[in-house]
Amino acid sequence: MAEDLVLDTAIRDWVLIPLSVVMVLIGVLRYFVSKLMRTTQLPDSKIIKEGQVIIRARNLRAAANFIPSKAFRARKLYYTNEENGLLHVPKGQGQNPQAQMLSDPNMAMDMMKKNLSMIIPQTLTFAWVNFFFSGFVAAKIPFPLTQRFRSMLQNGIDLSTVDVSYVSSRSWYFLNLFGLRGLFSLILGEENATDDTQRMMQMSGFGFDPSKSLGAEKDGLDIVQHDWVLPKFEQRAGDVLRKRLSS
Amino acid sequence: MVSKTEESQLQQLENQVENGGGGAWEYLSLVRKLKLRRSDKVLKHGLALLNDPKKRSALGPDEWNLYEQVATAALDCQCLEVAKDCIKVLQKKFPGSKRVGRLEAMLLEAKGSWDEAEKAYSSLLEDNALDQVISMRRVAMAKARGDILGAIDWLNKYLEIFMADHDAWRELAEIYVSLQMYKQAAFCYEELILSQPMIPLHHLAYADVLYTIGGLENLQTAKKYYASTIELTGGKNTRALYGICLCTSAIAQLTKGKNNEDKEISTLAAAALEKDYKQSSPDKVSLLASTLKTMKLQ
Repeated sequence: MAEDLVLDTAIRDWVLIPLSVVMVLIGVLRYFVSKLMRTTQLPDSKIIKEGQVIIRARNLRAAANFIPSKAFRARKLYYTNEENGLLHVPKGQGQNPQAQMLSDPNMAMDMMKKNLSMIIPQTLTFAWVNFFFSGFVAAKIPFPLTQRFRSMLQNGIDLSTVDVSYVSSRSWYFLNLFGLRGLFSLILGEENATDDTQRMMQMSGFGFDPSKSLGAEKDGLDIVQHDWVLPKFEQRAGDVLRKRLSS
Repeated sequence: MVSKTEESQLQQLENQVENGGGGAWEYLSLVRKLKLRRSDKVLKHGLALLNDPKKRSALGPDEWNLYEQVATAALDCQCLEVAKDCIKVLQKKFPGSKRVGRLEAMLLEAKGSWDEAEKAYSSLLEDNALDQVISMRRVAMAKARGDILGAIDWLNKYLEIFMADHDAWRELAEIYVSLQMYKQAAFCYEELILSQPMIPLHHLAYADVLYTIGGLENLQTAKKYYASTIELTGGKNTRALYGICLCTSAIAQLTKGKNNEDKEISTLAAAALEKDYKQSSPDKVSLLASTLKTMKLQ
């Protein structure tokens, strides 16, 4: 394409700017809605306890050599014995998260609320953009780009002859959707709830299973070789004192 | 844990605030963030902030945090009237809040009406059994009432869930030592060494407990822990130096010289002690010499 496409200024006034403004406003609205719907979930004592057991067992593993072997053996037994050790998870009792979700309606409710506040506005805006502005070339970025960016910037226009630096309206929507996080953190403060990427991470981390890490910790403890370091310390202390005396 | 930079920052802010240089709010925020106990200063500067309507409203929603902070500090300083006023303001703003309920219970505790405070705490715990602050307050209250066994009970209940809380372990260890339950105390100190293996104070306390329990094996272990304290402190801990000497002489007494235990370190420790005494208090050197002589180290 030799000659440039001329974009109507009306497109700027009626497509580009309204789209951005609407996206920002929806983001803000979503923040407040999710703030309203958020329930403070009381942590489960069992989960907290398991977390603490893991920390303590990890400490034991890391610093095992600092306590006498008698003390270490007693603790190891306390953690790993097969009957009622702290780290021992009886077979079949490890709750899998799906079952847990089914048994606890609150959890499913929470998930649904989170999803609703995220998905509904997104589908609505997407439908709105698609309906009103499909096929618009909404903006032009002031530098040339390679062909690879076509799918990113010209979503919704199937013309291979248009220069890649033109941005279609639907692509503008996506750019806004993912690119406004910095702006939101300015408007709404650092820890705003509209952080989509973080939320997705949460979703994927949902399947976290504490019983697995308990088992891993138990295996780790089982193979720890106890080697008391204190006798070495005695020698080193002698060296330290000698140095002090000679200085 | 307070890092070095934060500590210096705090010190700087404290000096600035003490000399009337402003920055009171920053100082108070830092104290709150680091969870330090500077009740007198928090009370003084926080109250000054709260009594100045212009400054107070400039804080925005943080105003209520400040009220809470000042109320807690006032309770610590036994300024019950101030605390009562703060809590009243908070009550008006947040009726039915559990956080305010906690403050009210603490007010009752500060007044010394133990039974009412106990009741308030238990009802708060019924709502949220995992509230660490309330569980800790209950331990503190039992201790303040002189109900040491009750304190141990509560602490054990607390540690059953929050078993990685090393401060609680230290508290429990100190209580056990005060009750002369050394075996239990030793366990707690082991736990502390596990969670913070590089802090010499735990090694020292553990060695003390082992030495007090006595017996050849324990004495030998205690000696090793005194040695590790010396290593970790660079030989500057007088108590550990004495500990080594005492352990050596006690072991020699028990084995009646049959055991050819390595005596080198205790002679070194004795020499280090002598050097320290000559440096910092020359008039007590003779006392040290006679003490060491009774331990047959000189």
